[in-house]
Amino acid sequence: MVNLLESRGLAFEYPGGIRALDGVDLTCAAGELLAVIGPNGSGKTTLLKLFAGLLEPLRGEVLLEEASLASFSARERSRRIAVVPQFLRSLPDMTVEDFVVGGRYGHLGLWKQETPRDWEVTRAALADADLAELADRLLLQLSGGQRQRVLIARALAQEAEVLLVDEPSNSLDPEHQIRVFQLLANLTGEGRGAVVVTHDLNLASQFATRLAVLCEGRVRIIGSAAEVLRREVLEPVYGPDLRYGSFPGSEDHPFVLPWQEATGR
Amino acid sequence: MTVSRRVRRARALGLTLLLLLLVFALLGLRVGSAGDRSLADGLQGVMALVGVGEPLEGHGQVILELRLWRVLVTIGVGAALALSGGLLQGVFRNSLASPSLMGISSGAMLGASIAVLLVGGYGPDLDVQQVAGSAPILITVFGFLGALGAAFLVTLLASRGGHISVPTLLLVGIAINACFGGILAAVQYLSLQDFEMTRAVFAWTFGTLQDRSPYHVMLLLLCLALAALTIPFVARELDLFAGGEEDARALGVNTSAVKLLAVVAASLAAGAAVAVAGQIAFVGLIVPHMVRLVTGSSHRTLLPLCLVAGAVFLLGADVLQRLWLGDHPLKPGVLMSLVGGPFFLMLLVRNRKVIQGW
Repeated sequence: MVNLLESRGLAFEYPGGIRALDGVDLTCAAGELLAVIGPNGSGKTTLLKLFAGLLEPLRGEVLLEEASLASFSARERSRRIAVVPQFLRSLPDMTVEDFVVGGRYGHLGLWKQETPRDWEVTRAALADADLAELADRLLLQLSGGQRQRVLIARALAQEAEVLLVDEPSNSLDPEHQIRVFQLLANLTGEGRGAVVVTHDLNLASQFATRLAVLCEGRVRIIGSAAEVLRREVLEPVYGPDLRYGSFPGSEDHPFVLPWQEATGR
Repeated sequence: MTVSRRVRRARALGLTLLLLLLVFALLGLRVGSAGDRSLADGLQGVMALVGVGEPLEGHGQVILELRLWRVLVTIGVGAALALSGGLLQGVFRNSLASPSLMGISSGAMLGASIAVLLVGGYGPDLDVQQVAGSAPILITVFGFLGALGAAFLVTLLASRGGHISVPTLLLVGIAINACFGGILAAVQYLSLQDFEMTRAVFAWTFGTLQDRSPYHVMLLLLCLALAALTIPFVARELDLFAGGEEDARALGVNTSAVKLLAVVAASLAAGAAVAVAGQIAFVGLIVPHMVRLVTGSSHRTLLPLCLVAGAVFLLGADVLQRLWLGDHPLKPGVLMSLVGGPFFLMLLVRNRKVIQGW
């Protein structure tokens, strides 16, 4: 299987010598949903930014289909890699359709005018994200779950083969969490690769092809949900207050609950 | 707003503004302190200027030409300041950004005043016509450099780790305005003993649209055209800035290049406007707001419409006050401050909730 995205010995430091990542080797293949889990401050979002080319590595490199990511121009990169941020720094005063067509920027010509094909792709992306009926709605009028799907729709409009998704289920109710992860799983089923940073171990267990545990800037383990979501693996990372289990017939997809013995009844 | 609806509204607004511009331009040729002229006179004078037909008799042709330069300079200044405001509001993702609030106009003002001193020298031999007529290039260049210097100084001081904090930006703008204001006062003080010099410097302080020459028109329109040429290269990108700079980069925007281009274009436009007509505040703040209210916030429609709307706004204000106030019209800088100050306050009150969250 060809690796769409790969990191080799990736290291990064923030100003002041704060080490965020140290020697990270990861791969994401076509059709794969790789969930990156780990405690706060473990370097997950930094890793995503390095994969997106938004940060320069201190050491090591990121490869996109075996070519150095640094060799791609920003627009070329945006045609190959789409980022779904956790949230936007500011919410643009525009309609859903105007926002989603922004994903076509890397495909536009010199005068940056959208062609009929750009609108066709945008409408298809809106339909895939179940947003066709909200196309004329202002972003400010949407719920948190709808906004999350709008961000995914824009990434789909980029027609990129790699999706980088930062904590897509944050602040969503359980129904929307499942819908968003189902959508991501469907998209990878169509041949894309997705790297999803998440704190939700159970959604990762259910939908991810593989899980990578990041702790203090290093990858502790990469494997299937059954291999990763075990006490021996997670206790050194998250501490002792987790309970492990699985439903009959779903042993390959265990669940993990935060549960403190002293207060749990 | 769907794209087709947005484009339809933009076209309707553009056509309405162009019609208004034509009406105000014709009125501008007709009215003035040297008496009203008929529309036929105005057209005859303009045709004579381009070499078709006979010029007007007596002083008529000269008066008409002076009015024509005034109309064209007013159009150019209004368009330049509004474009500058539209660009700055897009780059900084904040509707309170404008060349005057960010110190860019003060920088241009200071540059232009220093050029006045350099051109005329500090002494009794200054010829104002020399300053206003044959040396506008130097004054414009200094105005532009002053504007650009102020823009970069404000951006540099307000940014930390590549992120620009809006409250810091506005506070730094106030501080820069105060600093440049102090230096400007020193320049004015230096020129106090020389009446002609003082007159020339003060004309820039209050803004003036009188006694403009074809040089002013050509320089202003050249700078404006250069600034406007950047629109196709920054407008789509500024729309993508709305979600934050990092988001725009992830979508493939070369954010550093776009910011540089937009700030240089905004400084060029504001610098040229100030160098030609002095300090006229608030046009760059008010006009983009008004256009945005009608057509939405897409810079692909906003920026071109700012050009026309800015021209209509300033020309309309100038012509109407000449009609109503007769021989004692206010200086344009004073007039715009009287209108713009309350508008700015209203903007602050309306955005109180957002501002408290900064």
